[in-house]
Amino acid sequence: MAMATATAISGRVAGEASAILAPSASFLPAPLRRAPCSKTHFCAFPRGAPSKLMLKPGRLCLERQRCLLQRSSTTYALSRGDFSPVAQDVEGFLHSVVNMGFLDRLKLAWKIIFPAPTIHENTNASIAKQRLKMILFSDRCEVSDEAKKKIVENVVEALSEFVEIESRDSVQVDISTDAGLGTVYSVTVPVRRVKPEYQESDEQYRGKIVGVDFKDTGESSGNVDVTFDFYVPSENP
Amino acid sequence: MAFAPRLLPPRPPAPAAATARHNGGRTAPELSGPTPRVVVVTSGKGGVGKTTTTANLAASLARLNFPVVAIDADAGLRNLDLLLGLENRVHLTAADVLAGDCRLDQALIRHRSLQGLHLLCLSKPRSKLPLAFGSKTLTWVADALRRSATPPAFILIDCPAGVDAGFVTAIAPAEEAVLVTTPDITALRDADRVAGLLECDGIKDIKIIVNRVRPDLVRGEDMMSALDVQEMLGLPLLGVVPEDSEVIRSTNRGMPLVLTDPPTPAGLALERATWRLVERDAMTAVMVEEQERPKKKGGFFFSLFGG
Repeated sequence: MAMATATAISGRVAGEASAILAPSASFLPAPLRRAPCSKTHFCAFPRGAPSKLMLKPGRLCLERQRCLLQRSSTTYALSRGDFSPVAQDVEGFLHSVVNMGFLDRLKLAWKIIFPAPTIHENTNASIAKQRLKMILFSDRCEVSDEAKKKIVENVVEALSEFVEIESRDSVQVDISTDAGLGTVYSVTVPVRRVKPEYQESDEQYRGKIVGVDFKDTGESSGNVDVTFDFYVPSENP
Repeated sequence: MAFAPRLLPPRPPAPAAATARHNGGRTAPELSGPTPRVVVVTSGKGGVGKTTTTANLAASLARLNFPVVAIDADAGLRNLDLLLGLENRVHLTAADVLAGDCRLDQALIRHRSLQGLHLLCLSKPRSKLPLAFGSKTLTWVADALRRSATPPAFILIDCPAGVDAGFVTAIAPAEEAVLVTTPDITALRDADRVAGLLECDGIKDIKIIVNRVRPDLVRGEDMMSALDVQEMLGLPLLGVVPEDSEVIRSTNRGMPLVLTDPPTPAGLALERATWRLVERDAMTAVMVEEQERPKKKGGFFFSLFGG
């Protein structure tokens, strides 16, 4: 009876674990088997020797308990973060779970089903650090008005070689900060049209298709079978 | 804004402060660099503790038997004399020296108990607003001190808040800077700006003192730690001074904090900073240890099971 419940719980835990730990990739039994229970990944401690975990299940429970208590709110974040190494170790994890006591498994299940939210990003200090980083970047990258004018002139000059600009006054330069990229300079240039020599046109496409031969036009079978020759005139006169 | 280390003369390893003033068997730090060393204490933002830091660094240096001149470069609002307890003895200032009314050594005020400490104020507060101070004023004063009969080993300049003309005047003669900041976002932004201005002016040796750190808030992740500050500003750290109510008491008494016995945490930190200043050393900030996080609400359910 105890064994049955134990396996049932471990099965459920495994199911949940695999669902959460490898959301995108489907979980198949890992082809290469690492040494079982080589990593107590839920604790984020360095890997213990396998013998320690297998031969002393009581000790394992204690260690597991201690580390769960100490890092209760951050361990789950850790296991959520890295998928691939953990997915392979779920085999080892199952082994270690089976050896845990009932209460420990229940706790584990609770923590999987109701994970503690990551509180790392919401502390005041980290918010302040983020804001300070953004403000330091934008302060350091702030250019003077004179530099802005010169940027506009240079950009307009470079672009007018290829396109015709609508009007010089409608060019806008903008400096902003973006969370992902940092400081972003954007110069907006309204364009009237592209200069003729740079226009994308059909004449550039100088190759010709000749000798088209349809073996099967696809009306009956749904497949098209065609051969043709693509003729590109040589560049040298 | 990376700190480019200069070639230093080989020095013994930095002392580990075991007890109050017993620095690993050494009684005095080794002076590094040519004297007099002109150091400006600046911050950008007001109220972070520039004047307190200047007064205490000067007092610490004097106690280590280095002759030091502390200059209050704030021409309009004067505070350094209050912190050193010399406010009643200021009669002649640098303004009088420049006007030719007195000699430079007459304007230097010696501290009662610390023999090597002299104070120089730039002008009297009740006089006409100082318009005539050009940016070369303090350069002239520093040169005059250098040429005098007993040149000081250190010249500490207490910079006024802001980045206007007073600031430009104060940093003109300096070769090194001590940037005082607190771990909050406003002070750090201003400190960054000031660091940029100092580097433009040619002062490459800038070190930070993080003042008014509250370890309980840092542990609770409400305040940035000294490590964060160093990471943000990218400058070497001279010292980390905790928030201490002794600062207020010593200011009220008019005696520098480092002279109190038994020494207080802030006083100890400032003394260590003084050692590092003399030896041109920098400290490495250590991460505050992570404490056990408070258990989540779901956890109490398991505490019933003896968790």
